[in-house]
Amino acid sequence: MLRVTDFSETSRIVVVFTREFGKISALAKGGRRLKGPFESSLDLLSTCQIVFLRKHTSGLDLLTEAKLVSRFHPQERDLTCLYAGYYLAELLLSLTEDYDPHPILYTAAQEALTMFGASETKLLGVIRFELVLLRELGQLPDFENCAACGIELTEGRTFGFWVTEGGLICPDCQREDYTQISIHAGTAAALRLLSSESEQAWKRLNLTPGQLKEVKHVTTAAICNVMGKRPKMLKYLEH
Amino acid sequence: MARIEEPPRHPYGAAVGNLIERLAKLPGIGRKSAERLANHLLDCSEDEANSLAEAIRRVKTVVRPCSICFNLTEGETCSICSDPRRDKHSVCVVEQPRDLLALEAASIFNGVYHVLGGRLAPLNGVGPEDLNINALVKRVRHGGVTEILMATNPTLEGDGTALYISNLLANDPVKITRLARGIASGSVLEFANREMLADAIRGRQSF
Ligand SMILES: [Zn+2]
Ligand SMILES: [Zn+2]
Repeated sequence: MLRVTDFSETSRIVVVFTREFGKISALAKGGRRLKGPFESSLDLLSTCQIVFLRKHTSGLDLLTEAKLVSRFHPQERDLTCLYAGYYLAELLLSLTEDYDPHPILYTAAQEALTMFGASETKLLGVIRFELVLLRELGQLPDFENCAACGIELTEGRTFGFWVTEGGLICPDCQREDYTQISIHAGTAAALRLLSSESEQAWKRLNLTPGQLKEVKHVTTAAICNVMGKRPKMLKYLEH
Repeated sequence: MARIEEPPRHPYGAAVGNLIERLAKLPGIGRKSAERLANHLLDCSEDEANSLAEAIRRVKTVVRPCSICFNLTEGETCSICSDPRRDKHSVCVVEQPRDLLALEAASIFNGVYHVLGGRLAPLNGVGPEDLNINALVKRVRHGGVTEILMATNPTLEGDGTALYISNLLANDPVKITRLARGIASGSVLEFANREMLADAIRGRQSF
């Protein structure tokens, strides 16, 4: 559940990110009642099994049933874990299209929500989700070669990140305007691993706080570029 | 989402059409009921119709938030805040005046309230400055409050709001509690879902 809005005294409108159909918007008649086909399943970021009727004419789909599978449980006492969940909802709401299924992204979202259940894993969870999202949208920056001259990025050097060119920049192509932060070779390798299709490889990563900062800088810049603005939730996540 | 359409022209003219439009916007009133109400208002005496208009105007000018708890009232402070029998040490925090009414209807809580006026919903642009949170913190720091009972809705955003407030008050000498949740009395464990059981176990209390 990405968004739950009260519509009338008894109904709600929900935006759901589904595994099979992508994002859908549907009217849940009686969705505000405790009893009935929805009970208390229609809460932000909860995972449900749903039945819905697709309207082929204009108008909203109709949600007829929702059974709660699990609620989102951010780490108790850590608001940033909750905000990480809101951020995930914001990204899916603004960057995915209706009826555009992304099962890989669905799985990544589930995994990220689990990682927001603990303070220690939340940041990595955010980064992995951002990178899978970029990959699924076909907007993943190039972490292998210099985005300007194409030369392979080798160990022992530092790079810049040039978001509009879509990737890292080697020292030879570096210009004043693009050097807000330098990305070390180790970070570039981490970015490759974190954005890889392998479900497991990235989990073995152990990043230093410095590397985490560099990685986050790159993903934030890439996400802002794709969205065309800064996501609302970023400022909540930063402190 | 909702289709924008021209208001249907009414045979009696624009004034009646406008009235029906407005009545139909009220909760639980559909187009048919709105037409029935409009016909009734056309039939009844001018006095009767005007006193309805006046009653509506009056609640909008006379009713305002209580200066202490933000419950709705006609006076400076609401009937609960000005009741000497209520325990002023214990403050129950709710999202909306209607939540307060629900708790009052159960007549089980003898403390006083604080109405936030909503819940934190950063995705919808509702931040702490949009709610009566500062006033609550001031109320606590002013002294005399020993317990804050969080009765925000048991939703993700309601819980988030309660957490935000309890973080703000973490260093103040006030006990912060929240409503219990889990299995309803009279139901059976066998049919309780996983989440209800988990809540009940997390919120267990000593006998
Ligand atoms: Zn280059
Ligand atoms: Zn009051």
